[in-house]
Amino acid sequence: MRGFGELEAVVMDRIWSLESAATVREVLDDLGNERPLAYTTVMTVMENLRRKGFLVRALDGRAYRYRPAKARSEYAAELMGEALANSGDRTGALLGLVQHMTPADVASLRTALEAASRERRMRR
Amino acid sequence: MIAALVLVSYAAVMGTMGAATLTRSSWTTRAPRLGIALWQAASVSTLSAAVLAALTFALRLSVLNADVAALLHTCLTNVRTGYATPGGSVTTTLGLAAAVLITGRATWCVLDAVVRQRRELARQLQVVGVLARRDPERGFLVVPHETATAFCLAGRGDGVVLTTAALAVLRPEELTAVVAHERAHLRGRHHLLVAASHGLARAFPGVLVFAEAEKRIAELIEMAADDAARQRSHPAALAHALLAVTSGPTPRAALAAANRSVEVRVLRLLSPFAPLGSGQRLLITAVLTLLLATPIAIAAAPAILATQADYCLIGRAL
Repeated sequence: MRGFGELEAVVMDRIWSLESAATVREVLDDLGNERPLAYTTVMTVMENLRRKGFLVRALDGRAYRYRPAKARSEYAAELMGEALANSGDRTGALLGLVQHMTPADVASLRTALEAASRERRMRR
Repeated sequence: MIAALVLVSYAAVMGTMGAATLTRSSWTTRAPRLGIALWQAASVSTLSAAVLAALTFALRLSVLNADVAALLHTCLTNVRTGYATPGGSVTTTLGLAAAVLITGRATWCVLDAVVRQRRELARQLQVVGVLARRDPERGFLVVPHETATAFCLAGRGDGVVLTTAALAVLRPEELTAVVAHERAHLRGRHHLLVAASHGLARAFPGVLVFAEAEKRIAELIEMAADDAARQRSHPAALAHALLAVTSGPTPRAALAAANRSVEVRVLRLLSPFAPLGSGQRLLITAVLTLLLATPIAIAAAPAILATQADYCLIGRAL
């Protein structure tokens, strides 16, 4: 299970690009030339993704069709929302570089920075 | 009984005025890691004082039997007198209940905070896993997004994450500084410090020392990570990176009250400050040790004093 991390990213990327629900066979074919993979490998990866909640499947005839649970941009937006949140009941899981500030704060900070650089230049 | 009262007073003073004093001291920005340690010591000191107060209050006289007295080479009556509390079994029950409640609450809330954080981290790492691609040479993960930011996620497969916008706006030296800053968070396991202080603050809302500790520790870990980044790049590089990252479109969640801490960090990076001398560090370490030892010393004082007495009280047990 552990080695599949990178594969999961690749398969998810493909399914997002395909823009329609896909069977294991279709994903396999799409990957085919660049990556020689076994059918069972791709199937396992897609099942893992489904168990983790990234894919949803529906029976279509005799095969399952998998589609993404959410759009790529939705995940990115959620993740960034958490990264940029200033307060709230965060668990502190994610340590962002900086707390984001209002435009007024940014402006005053810029002024301070410029003043400080001017001072350094004059001292030289 | 006196020990219990002294401990309660100590906890009250430490919890309020002690916290206020520590908040005002400016040396913490010059030695962030020491500052973090001191805030933790203050929290532990207050908590242990409260628990020990309850325990000494509850000390059942019959526990102090002849064996204990023999251990201390002292007279049993002296020891009993030192800890005696009027009220008998009622006060004992109350005291024990209080001790158990306080310890239980603190433990539960801290563990809960740590567990929730782990779950959150695992989920976020999972999402990053499918969204991000790894930069082959520099090792960090890149997520496509139009807001420039960087963060780190601790846990299995932990790593530093940057957005595509951040990569576009940061210059090479600034990028190095940012990655070094985030790596410092991971190495120092700062997320655990945040979880622990958050847990205590939630356990006892309104107690100044725990609430302040949570805020200050969050600020100080950023400064500690800033300091780590300085070893890899010029401090001005990180300062410019901080500014570059904050100038992006402000997301809705960030419209909170004005946040001075970024300004403090940038100015701190730009103006050279004298690090603490070894004499000062020694003093602070001594204070730290004192904070941790004092509650225990107060709790043990009656027993110790009893050993000093060269007479033995004759009287009925209380």
